[in-house]
Amino acid sequence: MEESKGEEWEPKILAFCCNWCSYAGADAAGLERRQVPPTIRVIRVMCSGRIDPAFVLMGLLEGADAVLVTGCHIGDCHYVNANYKTRNRYEFLKEFVDELGLEPERLWLRWISASEGSLFAEMVREVTEKIKKIGPSPLRREWKK
Amino acid sequence: MKLKSKYYLAWAKDEKIRKKGANGGFVTATLVSALENDFIDAALVFEKKSVYEGIPVLTSDPEVVKKCAGSLHGVPINLTRFVVEYAAKKRIGLPTKPCDARGIIEQAKRRQVNLDNIFMIGLNCGGTLHPLRMREMAAVFYGLDPDSVVREEIKEGKIFLISEEEGGEEKEKWMKIDELEQKGYGRRDACKSCTVKIPTMADLACGNWGVPQGEEKTFVEVCSEKGGAIFENAMESGYVEAEEAPGKGIEARKKIEAGMQKLAASWKERMDEVSTLSRSERFEFYVDELKNCIHCGACKAVCPVCACEDDSKCLDMNDERDSYAISMYNVLRIFHLMDSCIHCGQCEDVCPVDIPLTLIQRRFSERMQRHLGYVPGMDITEKPPLYETELRWSARVE
Repeated sequence: MEESKGEEWEPKILAFCCNWCSYAGADAAGLERRQVPPTIRVIRVMCSGRIDPAFVLMGLLEGADAVLVTGCHIGDCHYVNANYKTRNRYEFLKEFVDELGLEPERLWLRWISASEGSLFAEMVREVTEKIKKIGPSPLRREWKK
Repeated sequence: MKLKSKYYLAWAKDEKIRKKGANGGFVTATLVSALENDFIDAALVFEKKSVYEGIPVLTSDPEVVKKCAGSLHGVPINLTRFVVEYAAKKRIGLPTKPCDARGIIEQAKRRQVNLDNIFMIGLNCGGTLHPLRMREMAAVFYGLDPDSVVREEIKEGKIFLISEEEGGEEKEKWMKIDELEQKGYGRRDACKSCTVKIPTMADLACGNWGVPQGEEKTFVEVCSEKGGAIFENAMESGYVEAEEAPGKGIEARKKIEAGMQKLAASWKERMDEVSTLSRSERFEFYVDELKNCIHCGACKAVCPVCACEDDSKCLDMNDERDSYAISMYNVLRIFHLMDSCIHCGQCEDVCPVDIPLTLIQRRFSERMQRHLGYVPGMDITEKPPLYETELRWSARVE
């Protein structure tokens, strides 16, 4: 985890985006030429209900400094009610991450619709800032140079 | 005849059963009666090999059931997975500790067994002993040769060990449970901190709490319609005799339960070494303990709640080559049990590298269950919250 001195440490943030809303929202942020910090890595899934808690946990174990779970607003899901399930599972993840001894800020749940490009950019900025404050994840693994 | 009350004092009519079984042999007599009167196809009982060893036997022979009477505190096995594996299609009857009954109900929620086919005779449980610790205990504190111990008994806060000397003479020694537990012996960790002492989720709840002193009878609480029907039938067919329990007995039983629960709560606090740690220390503790895991899968094989069999996510997604700080196997197992763990401690018993799984599972699952307002294994109508679409209302209101 030794970074070369002088260079600022950049967090690595994993984002799960649903195909219909938040991924389109991320697209919209680009179309609108909004600045999005380059800390984010997006994984597209068809629906936020597809995000198995295991994916989130694996992301954390792989060393992501934060994991974002994003999807359509409640009631807008393209698969009837799958984002209700996401919300339910997120509640479990929150307790798990907290008990494990990771900071609760390493886990985020946001609803972003296809037209909310600004919200997406703002969210990534906010997460990056928070993570920079609390530092790298204790699970982070990097090759030593 | 219709049952008038919920609480009874009952005993076996057959003198042989009365002598062999504990507290009047009610449980054995009821099982035999259920077998003979075709309520069940088979009974699941323990064949005693020694005080440290018992083998679960599935039998339709009443004589075998009679032979297996008596309690075994040194065999802390949970019968749930045995029932799922060998008796899911049969109508069976079995004596259950609270954790057995809760495990079976959790499996029924996951459609592994049909609760209509299972007749559970619940036994009040003050706790069980780990056989290896018990051997040590016999040698160190009782000064006995562990192999010479032929019987064990727990009553009035004391553990009695009865050994057979050369020449067939029996010797009885006892020590206070409290004293033993202060020194780290006595009951298992999971039992020390367990607050479910009376199995009201089973069909009948039996035990000796609330029985007047000196009487060889069993206090029976009728907890379900099926339990009532079988109890009634056992009385009608002359296997069991019963009288209504006196009010004093009911009170006394409640008092004992409350006392045990209070003690369990204090043990829970005392044994929770993690609660005093800071966040980062806690993280280190979990990583430190779980990194010893060799992924043998024993904890999963005995877990009374787990129903995923061999294609489970925790095994499929685990890869030793990942070399994560905590393996996917452990992370997923803990995660999946957060809503459903019944704190039976089977996982710790079988763990070959002695990970304190009782404590770890309890830490994770108890806060989630409190948050959800959900107690697993109590009510068949309540689905496991992780599989629900909506959050339970009790967690939503905040």
